[in-house]
Amino acid sequence: MESIVFGIGITALAGALATVAGAAENTESDIGSQGDPNSQVQLAPQMGYIHRIFNKAVAGEPPAYGLWIALGAGIAWAFMAMQINPILAIVLGSGIAVFVQGVYATTAYLGRTASLAKFGQPVYVDILKSMTTVTMAHAFVAIFATVTLCHLINAALGHPFPLPLLGIVWGIALGAAGSATGNPFYGKERQYQNQKFGAGVPIAASGNIVRYAEAGERNSLDNGWFSAKLGGPASGVCFGLIVFLELWRTVLFEQVGAGWGAIIIGIIMILVFMVIDRYIEVWARKNYGPYTKPTEEASS
Amino acid sequence: MSAVAAKPTAGGAVDMTAMIIGIIILLLVIAATYFLFGSGLAFMALIGIILGGILIGFGVHFVPVGGAPAAMGQAPGIATGVAMLAAGAGLAGLFGGAWAAEQGVVVATITGAIGGGLMMAITCMFVTFIYVFGMGIPSASGKVAKDPITGDTQAEFKSQGTEGHGLPFVSYVGGVIGGLFGGAGGTLIYLMLLDLYEEELPGMLNALPGQVVPIAVTLAGMFAIGMFLVNAVLAAYNITGTIEGPHDPKFKRFPRAIVASAVASAVCGIVAIMIVAL
Repeated sequence: MESIVFGIGITALAGALATVAGAAENTESDIGSQGDPNSQVQLAPQMGYIHRIFNKAVAGEPPAYGLWIALGAGIAWAFMAMQINPILAIVLGSGIAVFVQGVYATTAYLGRTASLAKFGQPVYVDILKSMTTVTMAHAFVAIFATVTLCHLINAALGHPFPLPLLGIVWGIALGAAGSATGNPFYGKERQYQNQKFGAGVPIAASGNIVRYAEAGERNSLDNGWFSAKLGGPASGVCFGLIVFLELWRTVLFEQVGAGWGAIIIGIIMILVFMVIDRYIEVWARKNYGPYTKPTEEASS
Repeated sequence: MSAVAAKPTAGGAVDMTAMIIGIIILLLVIAATYFLFGSGLAFMALIGIILGGILIGFGVHFVPVGGAPAAMGQAPGIATGVAMLAAGAGLAGLFGGAWAAEQGVVVATITGAIGGGLMMAITCMFVTFIYVFGMGIPSASGKVAKDPITGDTQAEFKSQGTEGHGLPFVSYVGGVIGGLFGGAGGTLIYLMLLDLYEEELPGMLNALPGQVVPIAVTLAGMFAIGMFLVNAVLAAYNITGTIEGPHDPKFKRFPRAIVASAVASAVCGIVAIMIVAL
């Protein structure tokens, strides 16, 4: 009984850490335009729209976070093998991983932006100075929280994978969850704030991203401020739920029915999320649209 | 027809010569494994790895991925890359499957499948949540007039100048099925390699069985992640960019991916086996 209570406590803590990690990851990637919306940041100068948005998308979020978190976890693991206190080891590992992220961000911005020179897009050194450190700070939060939850899973819950391997697994999952949830909010809702709300961006408008703020030109810190309102927290809750429910069903129900308990609970949870999704979809159909008359639809 | 729909759909045809060459390579690798290591654990591991690879390659085709256009609400699906999303779900499944390894192959593989499916169920639900409550956009498919599962008409909810947006229910179900297949495939590869390494490593390293467990787990885990990415990327190339799910015409390309995944898994598998068994 005591071990189950301990397991649930660790599960809750890991879920909370994952929530923080997801929120920081998405905000970091939106400040750096690392997700799929980077296509518009890259396209804009080619369409004649010069901008001051940071752009470091030379790798997708999942592999990039897989690398940084595996790096942080690997270094922390090595420090722990040298009998250094785990908390200090994780901080040091995450710190070194963040420097790699900083080098990545700098070279990616310079490389991607310099490639647009023929379209008249300048490389802004002040952007590089002010944005890089902000992405590094957010990346540190995401890496530290994820490495810590990996350490908890390994040391407290007894998962067989060593820390660096858990880092790759949860790093890629973090990037996948964060980019899936947060990208549309940044891509449609922020970059195309001048387009109609409640509709997709017409393909003809591609590249015409919003480039001006309340005062002066919009930069990526403004984008981070915006996406931290919904895209970031939603990504955080998404990743937090993934980690929490995956651990919860294993810790509580793995011993029930020789492993079948966790499977049945997993199936029930999948069905519950399916019902919620369908409810939201039907709610949207009733409250928004239709955009065209059904007669037009029938004839098309 | 808009610009997105007018994209060339070439590449869907099955090249029989390439398929036959692929199958011959596959049979050669299987025969080589049989002659080198006999019909023991190593041979069974190779068959399990090939099966796992096929599950991953097939499963990726179910995952609704819209890529960059989805991030602007210009095309339906999840706004990220095919291989990466499938990898995220499959590795979450592998995490659960590896944890349940002691419960036997069947329970562990199903646990892995459920882990991948659960990750996709949560992620897809949040995609719909963001589209509906964050952006005010309902789901609409660009590939079918009616959702094959719910029968909901799609065209009148498609906003002007786009190919559709969000995740129609059939895409949601496709995402979950993709996660189930991915998680099962990744876990199967891991379990097969783990069994082999736990058997062979003590003799190879002159160590007690208990001492080699961390090395066996790490090696099997690394190979499972590597082979997962190989199969996911191969399937992504087969899909070429974006796919809406099982109702998308591109889904019919899956036989090519199954052959390609089987060949790639066999070649990777024999390398993973030779490390300990040769």
